[in-house]
Amino acid sequence: MKITLSSFAALVTGLLLISTSAEAHHGWTEFDEKAEVTVEGTVTDFHYVNPHCVVEFEVKDETGHVRKWQGEFSNPGVLSRRGWNAASLEAGDKITITGHPARNNVLALHIFRIRSSNGELKLDLQE
Amino acid sequence: MIMFPSHGLVSCLAASLSFCTVLAAQEGIPVADPLVIAKCGSCHARDERGNMPRISWERTTPESWQDVLKQMILLHGLSVTPAEARDIVKYLSSSHGLAPEEAGPVMYDPERRVHEETDIPSESLRDTCTKCHSFARALSWRRSAEEWRQFADAHAARYKIASTAEAVEFLAKAAPLHTPAWDAWSSRAAKQDLAGRWLVSASVPGHGNYYGEMQIDRTGDGEYNTRVNLTSVKDGSRILRSGRSAVFGDYAWRGRSQGTGSPRSAPDDPGSEAREVLLIAPDQLTAEGRWFWGQYQEFEFNVKLRRASSDPTLIGVDRSSLKTGSIATRIRLTGDNFPGEVAPADLDFGPGVTVRSIVSHSPSEIVAEMDVAADARLGRHAVAFRRSVLPDAMAIYDRIDYIKVTPDSIVSAFGDRTHPRGYQQFDAIGYQRGADGKPHTADDVALGPVNVSWSVQVFHEVDGSSSDLVGAMSPAGLFTPATDNPNINFDTWVVATATGEKDRKDNPLVGKSYMVVTIPTYTINGRQYVRELGRWVDDGPAAGKQ
Repeated sequence: MKITLSSFAALVTGLLLISTSAEAHHGWTEFDEKAEVTVEGTVTDFHYVNPHCVVEFEVKDETGHVRKWQGEFSNPGVLSRRGWNAASLEAGDKITITGHPARNNVLALHIFRIRSSNGELKLDLQE
Repeated sequence: MIMFPSHGLVSCLAASLSFCTVLAAQEGIPVADPLVIAKCGSCHARDERGNMPRISWERTTPESWQDVLKQMILLHGLSVTPAEARDIVKYLSSSHGLAPEEAGPVMYDPERRVHEETDIPSESLRDTCTKCHSFARALSWRRSAEEWRQFADAHAARYKIASTAEAVEFLAKAAPLHTPAWDAWSSRAAKQDLAGRWLVSASVPGHGNYYGEMQIDRTGDGEYNTRVNLTSVKDGSRILRSGRSAVFGDYAWRGRSQGTGSPRSAPDDPGSEAREVLLIAPDQLTAEGRWFWGQYQEFEFNVKLRRASSDPTLIGVDRSSLKTGSIATRIRLTGDNFPGEVAPADLDFGPGVTVRSIVSHSPSEIVAEMDVAADARLGRHAVAFRRSVLPDAMAIYDRIDYIKVTPDSIVSAFGDRTHPRGYQQFDAIGYQRGADGKPHTADDVALGPVNVSWSVQVFHEVDGSSSDLVGAMSPAGLFTPATDNPNINFDTWVVATATGEKDRKDNPLVGKSYMVVTIPTYTINGRQYVRELGRWVDDGPAAGKQ
């Protein structure tokens, strides 16, 4: 991910703190915030870190090929207040993820909702 | 020097009246030092009890007293020589300092560690305090309730803070002037001398552990010269360092040292000149802290010291884990005053771990061969040589479940004409899942460094962005930002791929760290912002700085 200096500067509110506790070191300009995508996949790794939590997961496309996706969302400070921790997603977990897709055909999402395979709501950042 | 800046006459008088009321209610800490009285007394007039306004109702660390003194010099025209400034800071840090128990929780601030402050009680407090500095900076002070209020009023006026009421209420309770810890510490018996021989164990990210000793020689009241001799566990190389230090309040070690011999060849050279910050235990038998250097204080020794004695003493072991079922694994124990005769029975690694033989020994080293039973208890074991014990020094494990890259998230920085590059050292640590059988939980057991290969991956790498633009990883896990500042920020993964350890599907174990590589400064609305540890800080008007 890269942000040019001009757009970077425009994101000053987030930028004033690139601290370990900052909510975001940049905005979400690489994602199409007007679009929504829901995908089902299997977690391969979960990173409960600043500045964003990241879940890596695999999704089977229409042709049956397994594609590697990356979903970015929130940060440990916010998620911990919703009862999350580093073990909230584990490799092998089947999940349904909804988020804003990345532009430029990158297999990435800005996640705002995660459900487990039985439909249970694990996280809704739009609530 | 002005006692009540930015208040105006009316509010100043009101504050003074209120302050007098509180003076009667809350006892101050008298100032007895002639130099402080002489230099500060014209504005902070000393009363019949020896109390000086503001000063007698606050306590803090050497760094904070130094900042106060700088402020008095720059803003209020205080005139002191360097020697006088040193003596004033030394006196105030001792008589108006923190107890060791109060200093311990905020040591990451003077140690210049990037530290995630997860214990800030509310978003409001986070907003009030940590936009400009760490929360530890506030908690490095102890003040009376009225003094907190006065400080907050002045702070709010100076830095345009909307509301400080919640902060004052919290800090008055959490960081009061008088505490049992301070009462006990300030009435302690006469201080001891730290001079003598100390045993040192140090970990240097990317370089592994070092063991050795430090000779401390007294040069004045609370001042010392040091000579350090360390040997690398990894490759046997030696580091000789010499330095000077001052100790404030009998426990706050602040020093500077550098390697002797050939000039430094690399930014992460362990012989580099470093600042030393240590917390000496109240019994003055042990000390712990950080020696650090680099543009962003990113290079470090994590140091533990203990006074040498005439008893046999274990300092460290050359590995931190042993696998169940392993046979005749050779380990090296470093120590001091090991006796002339050493038998397997002198060593104890806990149930399931047997000392097969002593291969060799000297006064400072024992080499032994170990067997670990297939059913040995998993988890951390103490290591003992007779009565000398290293708690939790050895982990017994059945397999490495995952690799954790440390730090797991971090900021690195490109350089420019005025800001050298900010490097970052990573380590890949193996973990066992712990007693609950689940990885990434609190009971997981760290097993020590794992051999890996390193790489950098730019997030969403699709449009020609290459990791070459970002920088490169060394085989030892040191990230060096690219020489050219591309005026772009990058989110990246630092990837450690195990060269030997595999997962259950027989794929190499992989660990990742989230690294943001940033530009060193940026300008917005006519002001320049620069990185300071893990945050951006306002560096004033941008004109002429680019």
